[in-house]
Amino acid sequence: MPETGIGSWRRPTLRAGGIALAALVGLLGVAGLARAAPETFNTALPVPKGEFIFREQFLYKRASDDPSPADRDVEVGGGVSVLGYGVNGDFAVFGVLPYLHKSLDLTTPAGQRVTRATSGIGDARLFGRYTVFKDNRRGRTFRISPFAGVELPTGDDNDGDALGALPATLQLGSGSWDPFLGVVATYQTLAYEIDVATSYKINTEANGFTFGDEARFDASLQYRLWPRVLKGGLPGFLYGVLETNLLYQDKNEIGGVNDPNSGGVTLFLSPSVQYVTRRWVLEAIVQLPAFQNLGGTALGDDYTVRAGFRFNF
Amino acid sequence: MSKFIRIMALGMSLALPPVVAFAAQTQYRLQVDGLACPFCAYGIEKQLTRSDGVKDITVDIDAGTVTVTMADGAEMTKAQASQIVDDAGFTLRDFTKLPATD
Repeated sequence: MPETGIGSWRRPTLRAGGIALAALVGLLGVAGLARAAPETFNTALPVPKGEFIFREQFLYKRASDDPSPADRDVEVGGGVSVLGYGVNGDFAVFGVLPYLHKSLDLTTPAGQRVTRATSGIGDARLFGRYTVFKDNRRGRTFRISPFAGVELPTGDDNDGDALGALPATLQLGSGSWDPFLGVVATYQTLAYEIDVATSYKINTEANGFTFGDEARFDASLQYRLWPRVLKGGLPGFLYGVLETNLLYQDKNEIGGVNDPNSGGVTLFLSPSVQYVTRRWVLEAIVQLPAFQNLGGTALGDDYTVRAGFRFNF
Repeated sequence: MSKFIRIMALGMSLALPPVVAFAAQTQYRLQVDGLACPFCAYGIEKQLTRSDGVKDITVDIDAGTVTVTMADGAEMTKAQASQIVDDAGFTLRDFTKLPATD
């Protein structure tokens, strides 16, 4: 496979993450919304009836740890907009729309340094979340909420440049309709919050290419750092946050044949701070790949920075 | 003399500021279960703001209470409060009408 795309990223080591998987984590993760909640995945906390909540998350991802002669260097930047609406106290619907710029610098076998890039909206997501169990007590809540939806082929999946069509993993969209489902549980008190979620996404074929199905397990701990003591009223809360995302992806298929240099397991650890008021939330998080076991060679993921806000209309 | 007194009384009555009878404002205290962050509290505020007759809302997140002040003459029932809290995704544990304030 020519080293002019990112479809061949893989490396049989346990360090660093693959950009493709990191991007998937990102796009999956920003589905999260609502309340003082995790920053890389969803929560079970409610969206009140008839209300909208908006979230904008800006991201910058860098991956330049390339053991191959291609000396690949990938950057992904952009923003992800999320709008949530409460149908009632238990059921909420969400829409997610990313806008991304992806670029890949690499050295061709002929020794020429080239850049391949694309910009635009990515694949949108629509999903619903229903709370099947809740136990509300004074100053605390426990909820379990399954969710299900579909990723729509809104992103360009046929972009190209002078070198030809961009590889599928560099395209903004997959071109396919991909359903997903999962469940999230949240235990929130005045002092801390724990969220755990698991989900599965079935990726379907488009343009002769099928991304491997994805399974993930996420967990988040948020601890109130300030104010240390509550003295009435409704003060803003400053949380310290630690999140983790364990992602498994099946192998991609090209023309119906498994790509042995794809798929694998990635674990991200992500420290963060989050400031929560009654009307808005400010947050910033750094995602660091702590473990990775991918098929074949992979381009190392350096880091991902996310920062954004949520607004309660 | 009596005419003088009547004129003085009339003059004083016009000179003195009118006496206004303030209507008592009805207040309710809602004990809300599940309330554990500021962003969540705003959801209940929004639901209450949409309700007719609600004049002011004060949340004490530590106590888990929402104090609702009604406009003159307006009232709220426990069933209404329960529905509002439920629509926000929480649970109404207790509903208390507070003593009238002048």
